Amino acid sequence: MIKNYNLTLRTSEQSLETTIPDDLSVRLALDIAGIRVRAACGGIGTCGACTIQTISGEFSPQTLAEWQKIPEQDREKNNRLACQLYLQSDAEVFLANPAPKSNWKSLDLSDWPDYPYPPYNIDKTIYAVAVDLGTTHIRLSLWNRQQNKRIASRHGNNPQAALGEDVLTRLDVHQQRDQELESLMQIIRAAIIEGVRDILQRDMGEIKSILAKVGLVSIVGNTAMLALLSGKDGSQLYDPTNWEKPIDCTADDMDEWQSQWQMPNANIVVQAPLAGFIGSDLLAGLMAIDICSSTKPVLLADFGTNTEIALWDGKQIWLSSVAGGPAFEGVGLVNGLTSEYGAIRGAQKTAHGFTLDVIGEGEAKGFCASGFVDAIALLRDENIIKLSGRFADDDHRAQGYCFAENHRAAILKPADIDAFQRAKAATASAMQLLLQLANIPLSSLSKLWVCGAFGQHLNIKNAQTVGLLPTIEYEHIELFGNAALSGCEKMLLNPENEQLNKKLRDTLQVVNVSHHSEYDDLFINQLRLKPFVEDANV
Amino acid sequence: MFEQYVKDYNEAIIETDKEAAIAVVEEAISNGVTPEEVVFKIVMPAVEDMMQLVIDNLDTNLAQHFMTAQIAAEITEKMLAQFSAPPEIIGKAVIGSSFGDLHSLGKRIVMGCLKSMMVDVIDLGVNITAVDFVDAAVEHDAQVIAVSSMMMHTATGEEGSLQIRELLHERGLEKKIKLIVGGSPFRYDKELYTSVGADNWAPDGISAAKIICQLIHEVKAS
Repeated sequence: MIKNYNLTLRTSEQSLETTIPDDLSVRLALDIAGIRVRAACGGIGTCGACTIQTISGEFSPQTLAEWQKIPEQDREKNNRLACQLYLQSDAEVFLANPAPKSNWKSLDLSDWPDYPYPPYNIDKTIYAVAVDLGTTHIRLSLWNRQQNKRIASRHGNNPQAALGEDVLTRLDVHQQRDQELESLMQIIRAAIIEGVRDILQRDMGEIKSILAKVGLVSIVGNTAMLALLSGKDGSQLYDPTNWEKPIDCTADDMDEWQSQWQMPNANIVVQAPLAGFIGSDLLAGLMAIDICSSTKPVLLADFGTNTEIALWDGKQIWLSSVAGGPAFEGVGLVNGLTSEYGAIRGAQKTAHGFTLDVIGEGEAKGFCASGFVDAIALLRDENIIKLSGRFADDDHRAQGYCFAENHRAAILKPADIDAFQRAKAATASAMQLLLQLANIPLSSLSKLWVCGAFGQHLNIKNAQTVGLLPTIEYEHIELFGNAALSGCEKMLLNPENEQLNKKLRDTLQVVNVSHHSEYDDLFINQLRLKPFVEDANV
Repeated sequence: MFEQYVKDYNEAIIETDKEAAIAVVEEAISNGVTPEEVVFKIVMPAVEDMMQLVIDNLDTNLAQHFMTAQIAAEITEKMLAQFSAPPEIIGKAVIGSSFGDLHSLGKRIVMGCLKSMMVDVIDLGVNITAVDFVDAAVEHDAQVIAVSSMMMHTATGEEGSLQIRELLHERGLEKKIKLIVGGSPFRYDKELYTSVGADNWAPDGISAAKIICQLIHEVKAS
């Protein structure tokens, strides 16, 4: 039985509270939380860099590695190695010398099941990398294929996001200035390899020799990002005739790319997108949930700047993509944040009013997507926001609603509600359209997978209150934040990947909502903040 | 009594409540209000009120724009079927999304408002070539071509409004047919419409309907 304990971490500059299970080392827990210890060995106690001082609480006994690596006078001051340290009660620790701030954090994949594939029979190029290249984030993991073991995972920001708020803006940049192509491509490639090197440095302790043993890199992502990554002209996305067709994202400079990454033996595979606005990240998501194995209808929504919807009707997969705008990524809203330090990721009503769940438990700096959903739903429950999305009260209409006194970043603004309404209407009506086309009633859905931007923190009841998710029973709804990375890992490891990939692609029915006039009616009716139920049809 | 219908209908519009709006109209009709009165004294003034709210930059949200237009169009259509004599149509417009552009929702607002204002509006759809715009306008004897573009390259592209202007010029139609543009790129640059050859523009769907009516009057007066 795993127990969870609260850990308070202090450095000379900041403090952080996090909850960690007793089977996770303090080092790994902090890698996820974001203030990292120094490390160069992968957590086996051989480098001695991750020294941390225990202040209070009960911990696992000292290990041999700690006796060897920590000088006696430091041991007497309660210094330990974070990689050898496990909590046995709530505790407080002090980190005198944290690792430099980094774009990269570990993903919390503790609840992911193992994949049922046999280990590869390879001698040399035993390593492989899975990459999910998103518009705002990059997620990746390094695998030892011989042992069928994930060495580590990382997520970080996509640095080229700074060039424009959404994919189309970036393509616009791209189209207007051809010379930007090269630099955009280089920015993305540099970011990915930086994430890989971060793993090698911290979790393996060597870089170049391991890079040479990487045999496969599999990259999934949205079409625009993959086009930019491989140096293709993303502006072909602009041509409506390309909407339902896959877009070529094969790089022409493979030799150069391999040498840039110092991976001479790596087969770098950019997994082909499914259609103009449906990337291979969705394909990976479909693989992650093994969608075709179900005998009953399954719906998947991958929320993001573009939200992709897939519906398995038992025979084929209906697919579409709609522009959600920035509302689900938190970018471009007055008080919007990605799920970063200081983001309000949830809100609850208590006897004393509303309480906020802030990432890192520090001061709130704004709302991320799941926090927005909670905030809007709570105010809807109280009738502070009406079904129309408007505040009932004149003051709120002018100022917005403040969730924490004198705290401008915790204000829910009318313009942000408006943006949310459009994003949720686009998504809900796309779900509705696919269900109608496939002739599947909501009640017969056996599963609804919610992937992408909301991560694990979406409150399903609140999402249903405002009509973001259809009203079906909770137990049929599953949150799967990093589905695309999981599917990409399956592509690396599954010996039958090629056949499965082809089978999935052959069952696709791509739907462009703008060719369906009924979509507009569905959209307009879904703008209201009301539950999405069966008879919501026009 | 009648004032109460107007008030209740307006309240429903403000709250984007279609069911409530339809209920008000049904009750009015069952109490002897004529379909003509519903359109001209309830629905149309409500659209005009919303136009004024939008122009005054009060806190309307996009959901309200859509719903105002949608409800107005639906009710007008229902009522028209019950008119004692065919209504006087003030003019015709053809509308569509520009070549290369698949965004269809913006023009929905314009169309809904125009219908309730007795403008016959012909929807050409999305991704429409310049030739198709002009041919359709001639075929339907329309006074206005309305072009919606949601991306910079479709707003300013050579195969979009610019080519429509060229065709109107070549065929000597510039006095008979006016060109209006709309969509997000024009909001960022308020002079952009002139550089794509348009006669006018509108920052949102609701006020676009108003400007289209003005253009129709201009053409008819000349």
